[in-house]
Amino acid sequence: MTAIELRGVTKEFPSVTAVSDLDLTVEEGEVYGFLGPNGAGKSTTIDMVLDLVRPTEGTVTVLGRDATADSVAIRRRTGVLPDGFSVYDRLSGRRHVEFAIESKEADAEADPVLERVGLLEDADRKAGGYSKGMRQRLALAMALVGEPDLLILDEPSSGLDPAGVKDMREIVAAEAARGATVFFSSHVLAQVEAVCDRVGILREGELVAEDSIEGLREAVGDGETLEVAVDDATDAVVDAVRAVEGVSRVEADGAMLRVSCDPGVKTRVIAAAEDAGAVVDDFHTEEASLEDLFLAYTEGEAAPTGREDAATGEVDA
Amino acid sequence: MSLLAVANKDFQDTVRSRGMALLVALFSLLVAVFAYVVRPQGQADQFATELLLSAFVGPVLVTGLVPLVGVVVGYNAVSGERESGSLKLLLSLPHSRADVVFGKVLGRGAALALATFAGFLLPALVLLVIPVTFNAGSFLGYTVFAAALGVVFVAIAVGCSAAVATRQRALIAGVGVYALFVLLWGLFTGRVVGAFAGAIEALPVSVAQIRTFLDAANPTSGIELLANAFLGDQLLSGDSLDQQVSAVAMLVFWTLAPPLAGLLKFDRDDL
Repeated sequence: MTAIELRGVTKEFPSVTAVSDLDLTVEEGEVYGFLGPNGAGKSTTIDMVLDLVRPTEGTVTVLGRDATADSVAIRRRTGVLPDGFSVYDRLSGRRHVEFAIESKEADAEADPVLERVGLLEDADRKAGGYSKGMRQRLALAMALVGEPDLLILDEPSSGLDPAGVKDMREIVAAEAARGATVFFSSHVLAQVEAVCDRVGILREGELVAEDSIEGLREAVGDGETLEVAVDDATDAVVDAVRAVEGVSRVEADGAMLRVSCDPGVKTRVIAAAEDAGAVVDDFHTEEASLEDLFLAYTEGEAAPTGREDAATGEVDA
Repeated sequence: MSLLAVANKDFQDTVRSRGMALLVALFSLLVAVFAYVVRPQGQADQFATELLLSAFVGPVLVTGLVPLVGVVVGYNAVSGERESGSLKLLLSLPHSRADVVFGKVLGRGAALALATFAGFLLPALVLLVIPVTFNAGSFLGYTVFAAALGVVFVAIAVGCSAAVATRQRALIAGVGVYALFVLLWGLFTGRVVGAFAGAIEALPVSVAQIRTFLDAANPTSGIELLANAFLGDQLLSGDSLDQQVSAVAMLVFWTLAPPLAGLLKFDRDDL
């Protein structure tokens, strides 16, 4: 069974088409990262999965049921961390979690889940006094109540400090290990990279790429950027480096050479620069990141037609 | 049950609100001051609890103030959560939108009922101290009617709240409802009946019957009718039985119809 399935889904608001003819499948048990810049239609898509918003066209199926007709039954087995929510200021953190337990008719205690998200010490304080990160942890605790089959996390890292992001990642991994399907959205690729089996990239309401992290890595290639600090980056030095086999691009930025090359040719690049008369003070390498690819998909003039184009486009740019 | 979970959450949230406490204190103080000011001078026995309630507290404070408190408690029930974003948290849990609307009517209605009882506590103490014949049964019974009136207005205000997208619009609708039922009903219905007098004559009912019906159709006058019948020991009996029955029917109608109408709109909306 698929956990989430969208077929030909379009959502038009009076002034904008938020999602356009979207097909998306999330398999049961996988961790799916839903990526895209702000305004790409991620939240609208999640809102349709949760029946907060109804599609103009197409069908949304969640856990084998119709998203609109069986919404309550779906949410009974789903934990949700919404985006842009607010808490009940006058109620304590513990009361929030108890409300989730009552609502899901779960056989559970509030304290263990509060401890799990690191909120046990502040559980009796009114949630109105919580920081953004604590509110985020509180909503996560409510989502985790009752061991849901599906976890939907909309921008889960927003407002969290690095320790919170790490906790979030560990909880996602633990939930996935338990067998839950995790669907989470982010506008920062680095946050999904570590935990996702598969990612889909949304841009202006359309899915422009969908692949495993490994697949995306292959698309980026294993190229590296070598930064070489020299005393003087003369044209002769640049030309000599550019002539090395395996070097695809050389930029001179003052006394710094930025060389895109295959990993195996680094020493030859250094040697070539020195042979051309430069004194090498320092050098280090940077791996070409998935971030570059993500940016190519989401910020380019037009959506790339395929990932090969995106990868080479970035290198040639 | 989902509806009860929402009602329970909303009750706890509402009774913790500072505005609610303020309104209770104000109401309580006003009734107590009233009871003290209109207390009899000299012959104490002439003045009974029933008279105080039906002639002074009822028309001036209860029918005027309790509906206002009801509107204030109800107007932001759904629209407030929609505007702040806590509705997203609420609807991420397995609640239908009908559970949300009726759970809120129940939770906030209960909070208002509690507030009404709390608000009548201080006046009860005053009545015990000043030299009047204090009839605890009448006093408590009257409080139930006051609370029922508040609940009806909570239901109407929650209905308005569910139908509109923002707190501000819900407040405008709530104030409109208050103005219609509390301030302008006689004027409004008088004009309507006057304008259609010709048409009414063609119907098999008299203008007087229509006026009686419209009077009972207003929840404030309906409650007043029932409360006075209760204080006169004629609840659901006596001359005004027919009117009392239609008043009860209309109170039930006003408690259920507005939330239902609001739900119809709320259920179709993109949130």
